[in-house]
Amino acid sequence: MATVKINGKEITVEDGTLILEAAKGAGFDIPTMCYHARLSKLASCRVCLVEIVGQKKLQPSCVTPVMHGMEVLTESPVVKSARSSMIELLLANHPLDCPVCDKGGECELQDVTFKFGPRNSPFGERKRRFHEEDYILSPVIIQNINRCIQCKRCVRICDEVVGASVLGSIERGAKTGETSFVKEYLDCDHCGNCIEVCPVGSLMSRPYRYQSRPWDLKGVDTVCTYCGTGCQLTVQARNGEILRVISKPDKGINNETLCARGRFGYSFINSHERFVTPMIRKGGTLEPVPWNEALKAIKDGLTEAMKDGRKTGGIASGRLSNEELYLFQKLMRGVFKTNNIDSGSRWNTGAVKSFANVMELNKGGISVYDALNADTLFIIGSSISDENPITDYLIRRLSRNKKMNIIIASPRGLKLDSSATLSLRHRPAAEGDILGGIAKVIYDKNMDKLKDLTGKEHLKNISRENIPDLTWTDWSSIESVSGFMLSANSITIAVGNDVLRGPSRIESMHILAEALRLLGKDVKLFPVFDRANQRGAWEMGVHPDILPGYSFRDGDGLGSEGIIDAASRGEVGALYVVGEDIVSDFPDGGFVREALRQVKFLIVQDIFLTETAKMAHVVLPGASFVEKDGTFTNQEGRVQRLRKFIEPQGDAKADWEIIASIGEAVEPSFHYGSVSDIFKEIKGAVPMYRGIDFEGLDGNGAIVKGSGIGGQGAGVVAGFSLRPKSEVRSQEQETPDPEYPFILITGNHLYHSGRLSLKADTLRDILPEAVVEMNEEDAKAMGVSKGDKVKVKGDRYEATLTAHINKRSVRGVVFIPENFTDVPVNMFFTKGKGFPRVKVLPLSSLSPQGRGPG
Amino acid sequence: MLSEGAVKEINELTGKYANSRSVVMPALYVVQREYGYITEEGMREVANILGLRPIQVFEIATFYTMYNKKPVGKYHIQVCTNISCSLLGAEYIVDVLSKKLGIKVKETTPDKKFTLSAVECLGSCGTAPMMQINDNYYEDLTEEKIEEILKSFR
Amino acid sequence: MFEPIILKNINVPDSFKIETYLNNGGYQAFKKALKLNTDTIIQMVKDSGLRGRGGAGFSTGLKWSFIPKDPTIPKYLCCNADEGEPGTYKDRAIIEKDPHQLIEGMAIACYAIGAANAYIYIRGEFALGADRLEDAIREAYSKGYLGKNILGSNFSLNIYVHRGAGAYICGEETALLESLEGRRALPRIKPPFPAQVGLFGKPTVINNVETLACVPHIINRGASWFASIGPAKSPGPKLFGVSGHVNKPGLYELPMGTPLREIIYTYAGGIKGDRRLKAVIPGGVSAPMLIEKDLDTPMDFDSLAAKGTMLGSGAVVVMDERTCIVKAALIIHEFFHHESCGKCTPCREGLDWIVKVMRRVEHGEGKEGDIDLLLKLCGDVFGRTFCPLGDGAVMALRGAINNFKEEFEYHVKNKRCMVNGAGR
Repeated sequence: MATVKINGKEITVEDGTLILEAAKGAGFDIPTMCYHARLSKLASCRVCLVEIVGQKKLQPSCVTPVMHGMEVLTESPVVKSARSSMIELLLANHPLDCPVCDKGGECELQDVTFKFGPRNSPFGERKRRFHEEDYILSPVIIQNINRCIQCKRCVRICDEVVGASVLGSIERGAKTGETSFVKEYLDCDHCGNCIEVCPVGSLMSRPYRYQSRPWDLKGVDTVCTYCGTGCQLTVQARNGEILRVISKPDKGINNETLCARGRFGYSFINSHERFVTPMIRKGGTLEPVPWNEALKAIKDGLTEAMKDGRKTGGIASGRLSNEELYLFQKLMRGVFKTNNIDSGSRWNTGAVKSFANVMELNKGGISVYDALNADTLFIIGSSISDENPITDYLIRRLSRNKKMNIIIASPRGLKLDSSATLSLRHRPAAEGDILGGIAKVIYDKNMDKLKDLTGKEHLKNISRENIPDLTWTDWSSIESVSGFMLSANSITIAVGNDVLRGPSRIESMHILAEALRLLGKDVKLFPVFDRANQRGAWEMGVHPDILPGYSFRDGDGLGSEGIIDAASRGEVGALYVVGEDIVSDFPDGGFVREALRQVKFLIVQDIFLTETAKMAHVVLPGASFVEKDGTFTNQEGRVQRLRKFIEPQGDAKADWEIIASIGEAVEPSFHYGSVSDIFKEIKGAVPMYRGIDFEGLDGNGAIVKGSGIGGQGAGVVAGFSLRPKSEVRSQEQETPDPEYPFILITGNHLYHSGRLSLKADTLRDILPEAVVEMNEEDAKAMGVSKGDKVKVKGDRYEATLTAHINKRSVRGVVFIPENFTDVPVNMFFTKGKGFPRVKVLPLSSLSPQGRGPG
Repeated sequence: MLSEGAVKEINELTGKYANSRSVVMPALYVVQREYGYITEEGMREVANILGLRPIQVFEIATFYTMYNKKPVGKYHIQVCTNISCSLLGAEYIVDVLSKKLGIKVKETTPDKKFTLSAVECLGSCGTAPMMQINDNYYEDLTEEKIEEILKSFR
Repeated sequence: MFEPIILKNINVPDSFKIETYLNNGGYQAFKKALKLNTDTIIQMVKDSGLRGRGGAGFSTGLKWSFIPKDPTIPKYLCCNADEGEPGTYKDRAIIEKDPHQLIEGMAIACYAIGAANAYIYIRGEFALGADRLEDAIREAYSKGYLGKNILGSNFSLNIYVHRGAGAYICGEETALLESLEGRRALPRIKPPFPAQVGLFGKPTVINNVETLACVPHIINRGASWFASIGPAKSPGPKLFGVSGHVNKPGLYELPMGTPLREIIYTYAGGIKGDRRLKAVIPGGVSAPMLIEKDLDTPMDFDSLAAKGTMLGSGAVVVMDERTCIVKAALIIHEFFHHESCGKCTPCREGLDWIVKVMRRVEHGEGKEGDIDLLLKLCGDVFGRTFCPLGDGAVMALRGAINNFKEEFEYHVKNKRCMVNGAGR
């Protein structure tokens, strides 16, 4: 600890505290321009210079640590005059075009000038001008270099946090400007974090350009619903029209950062394509009806459909709130008397149960910051850079300043590879075997200490010989990963939901974690989800075998696949689908379409008329995330508030209200008046949520605590077997077909998530059409380069797409995002068969006019 | 496109440094030699070879003055106009050259043979006034000497 | 007459070849050093009193002693051959004429600090110098003075030449490191100092060419011999590059502390045409100019500092009575403006503003109050920049204004020059 005097006030702070921070703590405001708490230190603006008694030169407080006994003056005449001079110098070439600058009113340069700057200036020279017209750097970024004050926050955040490294400084001295390569269109994440950290109006948001003055905006702090990272964001609107989303440095795990989806993916809210009244199918077409009529139709329809003992089922999205999901499962279990429920339709229901088990979700959440405080971080089963951009940013930023070995295992090359110590490229769905291989090496090296390792007999099936075939990874890489884990004291294993897409045998994860723990390692398991409330969905019990609070059971309930199977056999009377487009998501598009035709009564609740909704008997207009209250539980297990900001469009209603109304229509006691009432009930049903104060949830939310179910120490709960019965045939047992040399995998794209993002025009501008991503060598072998049109052909579907090249992806795999309506990637899939095989045909001869369908 | 030899040369340079990013500067010299100046294509190629983003090469190319961002003549005449040379008539030297070549500073003769530049100190102050033509220094300049030098290049 | 030490071989035919160097006793110091304990060598360099010849004048031995001793950590030596201070051409002479002297000095330094790799950062314009160094390094490898297990010892060393590409700021040691790492040459925050975190994040010593060239002589002839040359606090031989209005411009090797008057009048042959001296820059353009009355100042670090200027690189630029100081100051300021890296506000914006005012003052378009404005701006910049470049720029300008205020004022008032402009 160091005791220092700041402006005569004595304070004691930690050793190494920067003068700037110490002064802030003592209540003295030192202005800064280039300083940014979470970026590398620059000390270049010199606005934060302070006087240290006994030193001749003023020192930048943003990089100078306090020393015991130091006396600092932040308000002395020389400091004030230096500060004022620096601001004057910054203003000298600044255009002062504040009236037409988007930043006016929230400009840091304005603010420091107002507070600390000179009141006049003798500067009378011609100002430097780099350009007259602003540069359009991306669909979302527009730049006016004339206003730049060289703080380089944009360059730093782009490089150190985002990892795109597309901004830089060009020229030098007074001619220096921060921009892109030859001022060309940026090939980057389009996250707009450069805009967020720009203190002046140099980098600006194109969608927000000339839209409003900041003081005319009203905003709400809420949580992003695009992925499992759970970023805090602030939605701002003028006269009820949403004009922008910003991030706040002091809010949420994401601080100032957001991704393209979070920052620019909001315009679907005001989309004219939304349907905003309930509709009932009358004579083949859906026709608007008032709510009471729709509810009556539902009540009647259900009664009719459930005659003859036909089944009912429900599928709800992992993007609904906890309250909605809780209510949904309660409605299904309590009113519809069924356990046939699931969240989403992309994944194997049995695999989900295993995942929840091996990842020890019932033990409570873990802060991402705790998870990243490890010697070794192993990431598997997630295209984390694309699916969870802010998690990627956090890892990159935090790993810059500490020794953490990052190991990534994935079929696709990821942006985060550049921060990794080791990247493994593997065959799709080989995650379980890789984890098993690692466990095997660890077991073989420590047999004496691991005598009691549960499940060790399963490791027999993995060997140095079969690993290359099973995983396309060599044994030495597996050994390297084991080496990193064995040499670490703390290990975090982050597992993404890609392991649920195929028969990944994720159960090996448990053996690995157990082995490491027996060896005395601190092992943390960190789930990575693409759906914002996937964890909440399971915690609320939206799964046939999971009751609220991870009360696991082995029952006869059906998951999505079971429901759809049953439907195809004509056994399903009523199906209630909320926020999911199973026709587009279920890995066999044709099959699910046929199956849904057999459903007697299909209720679909959504905000757009999805492919599934188009088949419904009743469609109900739900609300977007800014139109309703609730809570979301992100992948960390962090419960955060979703806050209502505007009224739902038209007759649309919050989804929880709709679910409650349906319940009430059938069973009058099923009545809920508010989200907080539902949350109260959740606290009773889900012990993990007991400690959470709904009203008190602030920007950082609250992390759920272990419930004690299954016992604190035990990783595996009753009813869990290492080999689920319903295992799908493994990919590797297939004989590769030379006709179809590629394995097709899917997932979310960096700019798109689910299908909502496609309705956000800015995101559509960034990536308007589906692409197929392939390895560079594979592309070269076919003579395909970036931007070429290619035809991807499977045995049941084909599509023409633009080729993207990923230098670091594994050969023999192509990736098509699952987000595009016109290329429904699930049409390539055959139910129960894992990842489809496809061939790629270059269409280089095709003229732009002659582009093929879709 | 960079020649095969040039690509090889750049790749080999990585052996000199603990970090391949260090190769940017020598690689840009290779680009300048191959293309005559720093081209956009050349910067992209360097970025690609060294595993950098193009901006990371562009940043360097624009920071250092010896990388020509525009084509220059076959003979790039750079006259020192800093203090020591200036005291001994650097301006006059520039005027003489300008008159003899028929171009102003920063210009290139129509036959693309000569480009005239005024530059900062070249570290030859004891032999001022002086100029550099391509890699060679020409010192203790007089009008007569310049005449002779130019003649040898024509 | 002082017997040249560093320049002793300079006029020998083929002085740059290893045979010539060896015939004149070359690499003997390195051989001797390899038999010495590294701490002994560092102590010798400390005891010699050798101070950095790049301009900062920091004790070379002390600098070496900051390098951690842990043999498992890689270390680097960087030779700062980015000679760019206007008026300076001493390092170029060593590099072009006697490169082995530098290589030998580097080899000893590397041995002393435990560096297995060294870089010579040579300014891009010195194409001949770079070629000579490459050739000399090749020769040294072939004779076994570089490479693996040098002269049968456990010491191995590689030396590489890295060419700059036109940026004065690379003379600043941390900017040089950035440049060597393939980045824009912007100075780094200190601490950490290069001795802890230098090139590629490893402990690094950065020494000037002339400094390293002194090292073999210290080893050969002893620390006390070196310390006996010139003033006690900044001893040794020093290269003075004289330029401008003198009869015999050139490079003179003299003991530190030789009075400025002696350098100009005894060695450089006095002012051309017997005109009067108006001003003299004693140590490259960053050093504020001196006038007639200061000519008896001994040319060493401390004596010049006491006069409010500095020894810098030892580049003596002489201006006669016909010189327009305003124009000279503008030329110098244009240089700094051109070379500012742009990192920090006061240097980037301050020098830009100053140059705009200076241009109009020099061109006869000055306004009343401009001189005060210049002084105010100098004050805004001084002591507040990130690195010494901005300080050098405003010190030079302040020096000119303070010594010749009436000339500046004349420019503003009469819209023309008091003298006839820089003569030929």
